[in-house]
Order: sequence, then structure tokens, then C-alpha cells
Amino acid sequence: MNKSTFKQLSRKLATPLAVAISSLLTGLPTMAMAAPLGVACTSGAGTNPSFNLTTQIGDIQLPDGNTMYMWGYALQGQGFQHPGPVLCVNQGDTVTVTLTNNLPEKVSIMFPGQTDVLANGVPAQPEFDPPLPNAGSRAISLTTTAPAQAASIPGVVQYSFVANQPGTYIYESGTNPQKQVRMGLFGTLIVRPTGTGGGPDHLYNREDSRFTTAGNWDEEFLVLLSEIDPYQHWAVEANPAANFNFNNYKPRYWLINGRGFPDSIADNNAAFLPTQPYGALARVHPYGAPAHPYPGAIRYLNLGSEDYPFHPHGNNGSVVGRDGRSLETEAGDDVSFEKFVVPVGPGQTWDVMFSWHDAEDYNIRNPNDPVGSPDNNPVDVNIPQIANQFFGQFYSFSPYLGVQGQQPPNWSTLNTCGEYYIISHNHALNQITSWGALMTGPITYMRVDPPLPNSCAQ
Amino acid sequence: MSNNKLSNHGRRRFLKLAGSGLAITGGAGLLRRQLLPISDAMAAPDAPANLFFVGTDGWISLPATPTIPTFHPDVYAPTNFTTYIFGFRNMTGIPPMDPAAPANMNPLVIGQKNKAQHSAPLFWVDEFTGSNTFRLDLLNVGLAQRPDLTDSHSIHWHGFRNVIPFFDGEPTGSFAVPVGRVFRYIFKPRDPGTYMFHCHVEDVEHVHMGMTGLVFVRPRQNGQSFGGFTKFAYNDGDGSTGYHREFAMLLTEVWAESHWCDAHIQLPEWSDYKVDFALLNGRVYPDTLEPNSPFNAATSTHAYDTQRQADGDLVVPARPDLQYQPLSALVTCNAGERVLLRFANLGFKEASMTLTGIKMKVVGKDATPMRGFNAAGTARTGADTSYETNTLSFGAGESFDAIFTAPPHSGGSGPDVYILYNRAYNRSDNQINGAGGQRTEIRVYPSGTISAQTIPNENPTVA
Repeated sequence: MNKSTFKQLSRKLATPLAVAISSLLTGLPTMAMAAPLGVACTSGAGTNPSFNLTTQIGDIQLPDGNTMYMWGYALQGQGFQHPGPVLCVNQGDTVTVTLTNNLPEKVSIMFPGQTDVLANGVPAQPEFDPPLPNAGSRAISLTTTAPAQAASIPGVVQYSFVANQPGTYIYESGTNPQKQVRMGLFGTLIVRPTGTGGGPDHLYNREDSRFTTAGNWDEEFLVLLSEIDPYQHWAVEANPAANFNFNNYKPRYWLINGRGFPDSIADNNAAFLPTQPYGALARVHPYGAPAHPYPGAIRYLNLGSEDYPFHPHGNNGSVVGRDGRSLETEAGDDVSFEKFVVPVGPGQTWDVMFSWHDAEDYNIRNPNDPVGSPDNNPVDVNIPQIANQFFGQFYSFSPYLGVQGQQPPNWSTLNTCGEYYIISHNHALNQITSWGALMTGPITYMRVDPPLPNSCAQ
Repeated sequence: MSNNKLSNHGRRRFLKLAGSGLAITGGAGLLRRQLLPISDAMAAPDAPANLFFVGTDGWISLPATPTIPTFHPDVYAPTNFTTYIFGFRNMTGIPPMDPAAPANMNPLVIGQKNKAQHSAPLFWVDEFTGSNTFRLDLLNVGLAQRPDLTDSHSIHWHGFRNVIPFFDGEPTGSFAVPVGRVFRYIFKPRDPGTYMFHCHVEDVEHVHMGMTGLVFVRPRQNGQSFGGFTKFAYNDGDGSTGYHREFAMLLTEVWAESHWCDAHIQLPEWSDYKVDFALLNGRVYPDTLEPNSPFNAATSTHAYDTQRQADGDLVVPARPDLQYQPLSALVTCNAGERVLLRFANLGFKEASMTLTGIKMKVVGKDATPMRGFNAAGTARTGADTSYETNTLSFGAGESFDAIFTAPPHSGGSGPDVYILYNRAYNRSDNQINGAGGQRTEIRVYPSGTISAQTIPNENPTVA
């Protein structure tokens, strides 16, 4: 059992109530507890899954030490989380989402990219005040709402739809969205392909959209980008009914999977981030057959209101789908394209395959690969003395994958086994700050482990 | 600034990374979309550097009026200049150590402190084919205006595939170059196209302060003949990306307050970021039309190497205020020629570059040709996804390769002029009459008027 799983288990066991609830709710959606990294799915039971979501109020932690008042979708019986649960379903499923609203105003859920969404059994519709037909009607919600909580009785609405197209989708509030979405009422919906050429480890119904999955070495990752204007949140906290003047909207924080760096690289369900369950570290092995024949997959989502040009160092993402549609012509021609900056617009999703390949054979000093063997390929540069380097906390003090060089005295490295850390970050660089704390915000790393077997803690 | 070093970030210590894993079981399957590089022989080590860059600070000139109270022009600016920058200089051919006293640094090099240029020197590299390892030495000579800062610098080649941290210049996953030190970056680029480079130390600040340049990789197909061309953007096999002339267009931005803050020992609040000046190759219109500073032909095989004075400083051009902005954005060509424009954006905002009167054909994005995969999934020779447009919209860190064919000359004397400008007028309008920022001209001369380019961005003398 690895350390993270142990932590999660011990936390669970220390909370008898949670255990009791989880045993009572057998058969209801649960978040997978095993994987500390990668997409952490909340999967429904069987085919045609049902999800019971509630609206909750809570706080998140930000990289400058601030905390932020938020609203969010959470699983019934569990507390506030940000962002909302990652709902994973299969193509063809009839998905039912029941929303129980504990907020003092109407709330709804939009499912952009899904068609024929029903609300309480009839087609979901925008709501108007006063109701149509009326000359003065104005839309007050983009879709059917759950009533506000009144006299401690929550409002309830039930949505359902057939998830007929695989891909990555957002879900978010359609009611007062400039307020409710920014307060945190959003999440991720993943539809896994079940058609010919698809499968749970594919992005689409195409053989070539298969990504690496093998136990905890799943290389399926989430990059959900969003932003926060603290004044808007404080205004809602002070008086939920008051309308924040959106002309004054000015984000001061930008987040990846609901966290800012360095929190972003902590495990899923990190104990010190009790309301921000989703990490963003991408741990991979070098690409290449036979050991590692498939690339990894990243699902990008923009839940903010600005453009996010996200830049993974060291690889061009191959964009194979956008907004839940595979990039191919009707004739089946491949029209995917590569990007070293993935420019995700507000409300968009991009499905990207990626890999890191040991192109120059810098894995030479693998313990199983004796120095001086024919594939020994040293970097043709003199490695500077430590005094001639300004080094970082992830540095292995060696150019070679799987090698840890001599560290200076009193230095505490976070490098464990000579693995590489290659950064990914938003390249609108004013967005990788947190109201004065630089080099925070939407930053994460691709951790490249030496090929197996290696000396890394698994 | 040093007080924001990531390695000193203090709210809490980073977590020890704990993961769990199982051995991966391999399996047969289609290997598509993740192209492996062409396998080539190893390079010979210990060759001299192809380029020698110095990282330091300096001053440039942006339109002094209208003023921006407190911040622009900067009251600390020397005569002719307005704006404090960090940047690079190309000192290729000058040894870092003093030939007369090898234990000391070369005064010609140290003397370039406070003499950075913007944008950074344009350079280009041939696709790696086995022996042409590219070596770039970076020396950090420190900051003259801010001796209190001991910022390191680095070269991050933005978009380089399969990079190792050691040569990536990202200082948390590897290291950067402290003041007074030199480091050799090794590049074996296997993917042709247009890229960028910049310092990655505290990059919110160092990128915005001007340590930004454009780099591109020439395809191995160059020199062969396809479709009547011998120069190409990509290994297209058919000449579809062939061109006669090429011009790099690097887009950057200046927020006057942040530049002022760096000169005056202050910290800006980056979420207040805005664009006061939008720059094309380090200049704003109409300075973009001023000629390139002359280049040194002998050392311009891999970079636009601006001529230097005896003390190593950049040569003073006809417009002395543009001494540290040596690169023009003017495009000149003959009617009927194909011209490749290499766009890259290292500002923080989207740009929308419009060319009036001539369609551009987009042949590449982010150093990838506009082709889908072939049926076997082994090469990008499948469906042609190139397209024509007159407006290229692209965000921070993106690059575009666009080719236009110069239309016939309309007759009469002088060139036909077409305007290339950022249609996002709020970033193209820092002077009156809507003229400013990222705007330049494409001047089309009658066929045979101007001779061939010897290096990129050159505007040969008009006959």
C-alpha cells in the first residue's frame, strides 16, 4: 500500500460517520480512492448512472495564504468541494443528475454539448421573469432551475440526458452564471467511448486515441482552468442577494483543477487541501514501444472567462478533439494538429494526447544500463560546478534520467530518484500570479520517471 | 526579482511526491500521433559555440508622448531612451575571458552590462541530422540599474519537443545561470518550424521585461529543389511551403508601470497588467519601418548579428534612439515572390495580425506543418489543412507560419504598399490617428528590383 492511499484510508477510518455514510450509500456514485494522480472519476453505478449533487458553501486555500469563500456542486452526503465532481459515464448511458439546492437562490446545471436534456421529465428550458408570454420578459436562467432553499427545505431539480458522444465536457450553472459560475458552480463531465474502435482507455471511437492505462500508471490527466475575483466573492459572502457589478470584475487568482501552484502538484485528496480534491501533476514514463506504446491524455477545460494559452514544456500536444468531437473529416481523414500552446477559450474543452520521448538517449545511466555500454550518450557539454548553478527544488543535479548528482550540503531536494520535472503553465504570464505571489496559479509539472525497473518509490 | 524566487516560496514546503504504480504491460497497437524523431548518428562533442549570448539590462526608446504619468517616459532613462528593460545581446566571436589576462572576464563582454537589446537577437538552427549539434553559450553579466538584484538568467527554447530539464532553462526543474557565470545550451532540433526563446527565471517578470526572441528551425529539405524553390518552411516533399524571402515577426508588449517599477526598486501587481505598448520586433510603428541596424555578414550564419563598435556596444544607427532595437519589421519583396512570415507572440494577450489586400496562406502552427497524419500514422503528409486568411489571431506563446505571394506591381514609381497590423486596435493605437503599436508595411517592388536575401529579415538595397 502506498503512502497516499494509507493516508486516505486512515483519514476515512478516523471518521466513523463517513464510513457509515459510505456503507449506507453503497451503489451511489463514489470517487475512486486508489489513484493519487490523474483523473479522479466519480462514476455512477452500472449503466444509466444517477448522480445526486447538492450545492454547498465552503472555502478554498490560495497560494498567497488567502482563503476564498466559494459555492460548489458536491456529492450528496459529502461536503463542499471545488471544483465539482468529475462525473465519468459511458457513451450511450442515460445519465440522471439530481440537484438538491441548499443556496438561498435558484440554481441550475447546464450540460453544454449534450442534446435533448430533460429537466423533471420535460425538455430543459430557459426561465423567464415574468413567465412567457409577456412583453417585458427577460431570461433569468439559461435552463430549468432548482428552487431556492426556503425555510430549510432545499429546492430540487432532476436532469437527464443520453450521453451520445464521447469526449470532455463542462457542466456549470446556467442561472446568474456571471455570478454562480464564478463562485464555483462548475465541474467536468467525461463520456468514455463505447463504439467501434473505442473503449475506456480511448478518448474517442478511434484506435489511435488510446492512452496509457495500467493500474496507477494511468496517464489520463485533467487541466481545468479558472479564475477568481476576490471582491466578487466577498460581495457574495457579505450579501448573497446583492448584485456584484460585473463591470468591476478583475481576476486576481488563476487556478488549475481548483488549486494554485504549488498546491497543484499535491496528490488528489491531499489532506491539507480538504476542499480541493484534484491534483494536476502528470506522472509519466518515457514514450516508446514495447514498454510504453501509448501516449498520455490531457483533458483541458476552461471554466473561466478569459483565454488561457496553456504551454506544456517539452512536448507538442496532439489535439485530437475539441468540445467533445473528434478531429476527423466525414471521410475519416485525420485533421488533428499539434500545439505547444493549447489555447483554451472560455467554455471550451480540448482533448490532447501527449508524450515525452527520450530522443537523445539520456537514460544511459539507468542502474541496469552500465556506463560505457554502446548506448552511452553523454551530453556534450561540461556540467557546471554547483557554485555555477542557480538550481531549483526538483533538480536531480544530473542531466541524465534516473541519476541523482552530488547535491550541495544542507540542500533538501524534492527529487526522489533522478526523475525529470518538466513544467506546464499558462503562458499569459500575468495569470501565473496570485494577487502578488509570483510563480503560482496555473502551473504544474510533467514528472518523467526513468523506465521500469527503476529506484523510484512507486 | 530575487525576493520572489520560486525556490524560496514560503507558504508551505512542497509535498514529497508520493505516487503509486504498477509495471506497465506493453501491447500491440497503432502508434499514431506521437511521431518519433528520425534516428541520426551522434554529434561530435567539444566544438566551439555557434552563438554566444549575454544576459543583462538596458534601455530602449518608445514614443515619449502621450506620457503615462509617473511611469513613462522613465525619469531615470538616459538621453534618447524611455524604458528600462532586461534582455540579451549577441556577442558571438568575442571570447568570454580576456585574451590578455585569461583569468579575467573579457572587458568587451562585461562592458555590455546595461546594453541589452529588444527584441533579443533573432537566430535560426538547421534541423539536426546527426552532426550539427547547436551550441549556445549564455553569460550573465548582471544588472547595472539594479545592483541589488542578483537574478540568474536562462535560455528556454519555447516549444522544443522532448527537451530534458538540463537544457530547458526552467530553474525549478533544473538550474539557471547566476551572475558572472556561463553555461552552454545544447540543441539538437528535430522538428522544423517557428519557435520562441526566453529567459525562464521568474518569467512573469523576465519575459515581460524583454528577454524574448524568435528562433526557427530550417528543414533538412532546404537546398533541394521542390516546386522551383530551394528554401522551405517544412519538409513538405512538394514545395508547398517554399518561399523566396522570410521575415520573423516577434510580438511583445510593454506595460510601462512594470518596467518603471523594475528601474525604481518597486514591485508591480501583475493582475493589474495592461498593454501600454505593443511591439513588433521590439519596435512600435512607425519605428517598425526604420531600417535594420547593419549586420555582420561573417557572423550572421545563425543569427541576425548586429554590427558592433570597437567597445563591443551596438553600432549607432541613423536613429540613435533605436540603437538597442536593431531589428526592423519592414517587409520588402518583388512582385510575384513568395514571402514567409514567421509570427510568434511572447506578449501576454491575443494578437490579431491583419494583412490588407493580400491573402496569407497558413502553412504551419506551433512548429507543425498544416497536414494531418497519413493513413499509416507515421508522418504528417495526410490531409492538407492549410488555409488562406487575411487575419491571424493567436495568443501568448503561439506561433504561425504564413506565406503570401506578392501581387503584381501596379506600375508607376516606387513600391506598392500593403499594411500589416494588429486588428486589436487597443494594442495598436499608442499614437494619435490610430497609428502605433504592432503595425508595419509590406512594400512590393516591380519584379527584379531587389536582390535576394542573404539572411532572414534583410531588406536588400533597392536597385
